[in-house]
Amino acid sequence: MQEPTIHLSFRLAAWKWATMGILIAVFIAGWIVPLKSGIIKVTPDKAAAGEMLVVDVTGYNSSFLTDTSLLRAWLRLSGDTVIMATRIQVTGDRNLSARFYIPSVFPIRQEAYPLTLVLDHSQDGTSVLPNAIFITPALAQDTSELKLWFKDKIESVHEKAGIQYPFRNILAETIRNTYFHVPMWFAMIILFGVSAWYSLKYYQQGLIDFDRKSIAFIKVGLIFGLLGLVTGMLWAKYTWNAYWSWDVKQNMSAIALLIYAALMVMRSSVEDDMQKARLTAGYNMFAFVLLIPLLFIIPRMTDSLHPGNGGNPALGGEDLDNTMRMVFYPAVIGFIMLGLWMSQLVYRTDKLKGNQ
Amino acid sequence: MNRILNLVAIEARIELRERYALSGIVLYVLSSSFIVFSIWKQLPAKEWGLTFWVIFLFCSLMAVVKTFGRENEGRYFYYYTLYHPLELFMAKVMYNLLLLLFIFLTLWFVLYVMAGNHIIRMGWFLTTGLMASLGLSFLLTLITSIAIKTQQNASLTAVMALPLMIPLLINILRLTAYASGTTPDENPWNEMMMLSSIISLVIGMSLWLFPYLWRS
Repeated sequence: MQEPTIHLSFRLAAWKWATMGILIAVFIAGWIVPLKSGIIKVTPDKAAAGEMLVVDVTGYNSSFLTDTSLLRAWLRLSGDTVIMATRIQVTGDRNLSARFYIPSVFPIRQEAYPLTLVLDHSQDGTSVLPNAIFITPALAQDTSELKLWFKDKIESVHEKAGIQYPFRNILAETIRNTYFHVPMWFAMIILFGVSAWYSLKYYQQGLIDFDRKSIAFIKVGLIFGLLGLVTGMLWAKYTWNAYWSWDVKQNMSAIALLIYAALMVMRSSVEDDMQKARLTAGYNMFAFVLLIPLLFIIPRMTDSLHPGNGGNPALGGEDLDNTMRMVFYPAVIGFIMLGLWMSQLVYRTDKLKGNQ
Repeated sequence: MNRILNLVAIEARIELRERYALSGIVLYVLSSSFIVFSIWKQLPAKEWGLTFWVIFLFCSLMAVVKTFGRENEGRYFYYYTLYHPLELFMAKVMYNLLLLLFIFLTLWFVLYVMAGNHIIRMGWFLTTGLMASLGLSFLLTLITSIAIKTQQNASLTAVMALPLMIPLLINILRLTAYASGTTPDENPWNEMMMLSSIISLVIGMSLWLFPYLWRS
């Protein structure tokens, strides 16, 4: 007779160490790698045109004091329509004040002009703060000042050397949550999918083992969903300014968890094991099919604050640069493997309890 | 088909013999509308639609909960020898569909009398009501058939059915907003397509799963 258990537990151990290795690397890289430098605050944020303007800039992860001669600043209206700072005074590694002359006429006509602050430093690279200052039009307009807008260009900018995550406005350090929040949902949906697959197996073959497996995957999937919701709420506190803002994505994921919680409640109120298994299999498949419009279609049809909806960027484009990809993909794989491993353990303990 | 209609007729006869059944539903609609009015005092168009569907949902839950509880188990065993499970299921669904349509029309009438009419596009609202009743009758019949096998029938029906209703409800609310002219959206076909595809998912899944769940 063969001994498949030894072989299986060896595979499980190998799986465990692979998961641990990937996740430890993800945690270290996710927490330790610094952010690129950026701009946090600009004062004042309103000014009138046709005057000298001195703005105080607060940087983040910046080192203004080194190499002050190569520090340049621009205010950008659009494209190449920029004005360069006439003088920059550095007061600390994170503070400087830049002096601009805002021309009294603009190439376009608006109620107010939002200007983007661009900062270039030989070591920190380029930092950008969109809509940094709002300019109100001048009372007396001098059309000869129009050419001031086209005198300078943003050119020969620097890149910061080394491995860093991008600095995004508002997100700042919370960008690291990408490695923990997003993989939770990937893992949850895969665990629920595997569970529905085992339910289908139970439907076809009626072996109680498949029911044990499917319920183990649901249990672990619920944990991952709950963690995804909590990490999302923490993130929302920093970026949307509230833990819960009744966003469609938040609601739908909470409802998805409610559906599976209802399944657990239903299971606990059935006495007979076969009955329990059959009802679980039926409801589980039904719920998983309805989960697809709930999680993937309805949020895309509605306005949402969440990335990936309503024109907000998500995993594509410039939000996830190559440095982040190097951590993000292992994180996704690692957390999915962790979920599968945990479900295996839950299944095994349930089986041992059932045999007693 | 005739056999199914026969079952529906039996169902209706059992229900109508007990006079509290239908009048209970009407009273439920009336009293919940009164509660809503004493809270809101008046109902603008947007709130009208929301209130309508909230009352409708809870009324339908209340009405449908006793789908499989009306007859005792011996009767089902007898049915099981006579009818295919799908025939029984279709009969229950058709009866529930009639109930839900009855609730829909009663509730519309009550809210019409009490809060005035806010529906501009009658045809759209009626279609929405039909679709909602169709989808919910399938969904609720399946869920009650699961819940009847457990110990707490009524509460579990609500717990399991309410979250599953939400994808339907969201589209229904949007269509209602279109029917009452409270949304700038001028193309309701998207929502209609969405609603009908979710409903066909529900119908397909419940037709597939019911014979399996019922076999015990």
